[in-house]
Amino acid sequence: MPNTYLDSNVISSVRKFEWFLCLNAITLAIIGIVSIYSATIPMGSAGRSFVIKQTAWLSLGVVLLILFSFVDYRILDRWGSWVYIFILVALISVSIFGRVTAGSRRWIDFGLMRFQPSEFAKLAIVIVLAKSLSNRTRGPLDDWTEIFRNLALVLVPAVFVTTQPDLGTAIAMSLVAITMAMFVGLSKRIWSAIAGLAVVCVPLIYIGANYFLLDYQKRRLLTFINPDQDPLGAGYQIIQSQIAIGSGELFGKGFLKGTQNQLMFLPVKHTDFIFAVLSEEWGFIGCVIILMLFMIFILRGLAIADRARDDFGTLLAVGCIAIIFWHVAINVGMVMGLVPVVGVPLSFVSYGGSSLLSSFLVTAILSSISSRRFSCLA
Amino acid sequence: MTQLLSDRVPQDYYKSRVIILSIIVCLVMLALLIRLWNLQLIMGESYDDMAIENRIRLLRLPPPRGSIYDRNGKALAENSSSFTLSIVPGAIKDPHLIIEAYADPLGFSPEKMRSIIEKSLVAPRFISFPIKKNISLEEVSLIKAHSREIKGVSLDAKPYRHYPNAELLCHIVGVTGEISGSELEKSGRVGYRPGDYIGKTGIEREYETYLRGEEGWEQIEIDAKGRNLASLTRRPAKPGADVVLTIDSSFQKFVENTFTERAGSVVAVDPDTGRILAMVSKPGFDPNLFSPSISERNWKSLNTDPLHPLENRSIRGLYPPASTFKLVTALAALSEGVVKPDSSFVCSGELELAGQVYRCWNQRGHGRVSLHKSLVESCDVYFYELGLRLGADRMAQYASLFGLGKPTGVELSQELPGLIPTNYWKQRNYGTFIKDGENVTIGIGQGYTLTTPIQLAMMTAAIANGGNVMRPYLVEEIRSREGSTIFGQTPVIRWNLKPDPQNWSLIRKAMRDVVEERAGTGRRCRIPGLTVYAKTGTSQVISAREKSNGDDEVPYHERTHAMFVAFVDDQPRKIAVVVVIEHGGGGGKTAAPLARKIICRYYGLPDPGEPRD
Repeated sequence: MPNTYLDSNVISSVRKFEWFLCLNAITLAIIGIVSIYSATIPMGSAGRSFVIKQTAWLSLGVVLLILFSFVDYRILDRWGSWVYIFILVALISVSIFGRVTAGSRRWIDFGLMRFQPSEFAKLAIVIVLAKSLSNRTRGPLDDWTEIFRNLALVLVPAVFVTTQPDLGTAIAMSLVAITMAMFVGLSKRIWSAIAGLAVVCVPLIYIGANYFLLDYQKRRLLTFINPDQDPLGAGYQIIQSQIAIGSGELFGKGFLKGTQNQLMFLPVKHTDFIFAVLSEEWGFIGCVIILMLFMIFILRGLAIADRARDDFGTLLAVGCIAIIFWHVAINVGMVMGLVPVVGVPLSFVSYGGSSLLSSFLVTAILSSISSRRFSCLA
Repeated sequence: MTQLLSDRVPQDYYKSRVIILSIIVCLVMLALLIRLWNLQLIMGESYDDMAIENRIRLLRLPPPRGSIYDRNGKALAENSSSFTLSIVPGAIKDPHLIIEAYADPLGFSPEKMRSIIEKSLVAPRFISFPIKKNISLEEVSLIKAHSREIKGVSLDAKPYRHYPNAELLCHIVGVTGEISGSELEKSGRVGYRPGDYIGKTGIEREYETYLRGEEGWEQIEIDAKGRNLASLTRRPAKPGADVVLTIDSSFQKFVENTFTERAGSVVAVDPDTGRILAMVSKPGFDPNLFSPSISERNWKSLNTDPLHPLENRSIRGLYPPASTFKLVTALAALSEGVVKPDSSFVCSGELELAGQVYRCWNQRGHGRVSLHKSLVESCDVYFYELGLRLGADRMAQYASLFGLGKPTGVELSQELPGLIPTNYWKQRNYGTFIKDGENVTIGIGQGYTLTTPIQLAMMTAAIANGGNVMRPYLVEEIRSREGSTIFGQTPVIRWNLKPDPQNWSLIRKAMRDVVEERAGTGRRCRIPGLTVYAKTGTSQVISAREKSNGDDEVPYHERTHAMFVAFVDDQPRKIAVVVVIEHGGGGGKTAAPLARKIICRYYGLPDPGEPRD
């Protein structure tokens, strides 16, 4: 058997190409660029570069999507550990050499482009977890050493990401890992141990959070509980974004006509709060369309997980989908005031090259799993 | 194949879990949709009212930027305000009213005014569209009478930077400008927004965090017509701190006015502390051109000027130190023992090495020269020989000890390091080691060697103060608006050269005789009643050119740079001066008189003029 990860029959793979999912992703990204355009117009000439850059990132994303779709995802089973190690090294070097933007050290500067390893770390965690969880006899996790091994795989990068400091990404990472663990299942023994631990730890965590969270992180959590307490500081974001969303009503105020957006009442609106811009200008209808696009994407991804050829494929797909799902849930929830403002981008839509590329890599992996569901290499 | 088949799984093992996950996803999406329904459809109207009323309107209170003063408290950069008239397209009710009311006082014709308004309608609706900047107070008084009745027009006072002394100290004080996209990205949430001003060069840039101050805000209640009803809460802006320089602007002005050549630099420091007394880079520019923003034409002409007026030559001008480097070579040779203080060579006017002839500046030769005489008369052949004996690495070691070839650490971060060639450097960049012929030229400060005027100033200061290499500084202190000192400068000794006293006094004696002796090259810097120590330098711009008959026949850009370093250390106030005149000819001829005038002015002595003999 030739040891190749590329399909020999190109025509059949084009036919099997996951058009549905990919077009869905590109649509979301285009909606994102349109919203970024609207969000950055009030910044004047400084804002224009955001649209240009995001368009460039989208083009690169589509190229990667097509390229990786034709690569057998099982290459990740083989090389996954190296990807993980590479990302880990990148995370460590970012905390040493990275450049400080907005008070956080998250980027590695390559001159022309900046690379944010934490965005890709989520994907790396999914890959190693899928590898480790598929490479065992089926059944709920019941072995402590196994659990601790997998926990370490998640916690090491998560700790580095937290110190950047990027709490949002660390939370998203943990939620993705928990989702994958639950998907595999936990034995009753483990469940009861976790429940016992929780009873002991919750007070400890409360005290710990008081000491270890940075001031702005604490403020965000507190203002989530009561936004009116600090209407001009941290609560300002939540109040203004709710006004933006609410005032959009059914049909929205129209493209470029959102007063909250255009009058700059919204902060960081081209990145984390892009959904607020979108819902102010396109209203309930527009929001439903976006959320439906995300839901279809996620359900389609789960269907791919269901039909994957092997356990690795199933777990990989579930992990990938979990990344997108948790980003959407946290981001939209945070903009609408349902969850604390933790700084998580809206996949595909928010401004940011690393976030967009990693979302497209997720799509590419799903597409690769989908197009190989029945084939066997021959 | 068997392995592959075993990979294939019964399709239903995970089926139930996938279904459960799908249901969870649907439920979460439903929850989001319900919240959305709630916000947009049920409470939408009240949020819409809030958006229209903008009751929680946050006004930014920009902080007044700190001023920059000279050491006597004379303002070098301060705030002034200008007015900008803008229209808000979304709020215009009747464009004709605007044309009627504003065209005249602004000096626009009604047609032009109409076309401006039409143009503005394309812009985003609620962003103010500036139609005239830099409006004078007179015009403002005309406008104010109307402004209350007409909607869609706003007049904003914007502070901008004023530099009362124009060109004086332009490179050191620097300029401010509107924040650029990349600066905005870098500053992140530190509080800059598009349109804010930020220091772009010089002290304005280096001390941005102190000068800027802290933005305040005011929460005001506004009614539907946009009128301010009441100020609810308010945090006043914290004004920026003032920066006080070490430079006395009247001395600086004298130096700048004395420097009449086309291009070059002067740096004067207090050798004991490293305090900079004057720092001149010519040509300069008027920083007021940049404020509030520079016109495209002015920017182009400054940027394309072949003499690069925007560059601060004192810290970024790279010049071969030429014969001023002989001080380094001499100290290296004495310390390394490659030459005895009393040993002498014969200078025949040239040195032949591997078929190549290296000439002395004096073609007739200096005859028998000792180290002392070779420094006083700046004999090249003597130092060719020393360069050959020492080799580049040993010379580089002493050059580095004097602080050459690396940034001096002055507060201006644009400073260039210069270059002191070593075998390691040559190997890395050219793949070969330094040849003997190159050692010869390094010995007299030519070849690859490049230094900045401020490095030479610190080298001279070290000779004046007994071997302490000081960190030069421009900022004396930073004071808050209330007058308390936030930061006070203390002199920093970077390291001590630990010179051998005998060698040291030898070099100092030679430097004194450069000025005092009849044959000394720096005789034009002689000031009766003051002991001046000096060394001249004439750095070649083009290599191995046969000497022409006179300097006047050589094209400007091929003429030699005139260099001169000098210090006075037997007075209560000491000074070390470096003068670099680009393409100025001989160091002793053009740079030395300039240094003399500067030193005379510093000590309040009358200029004795050129020595008559």
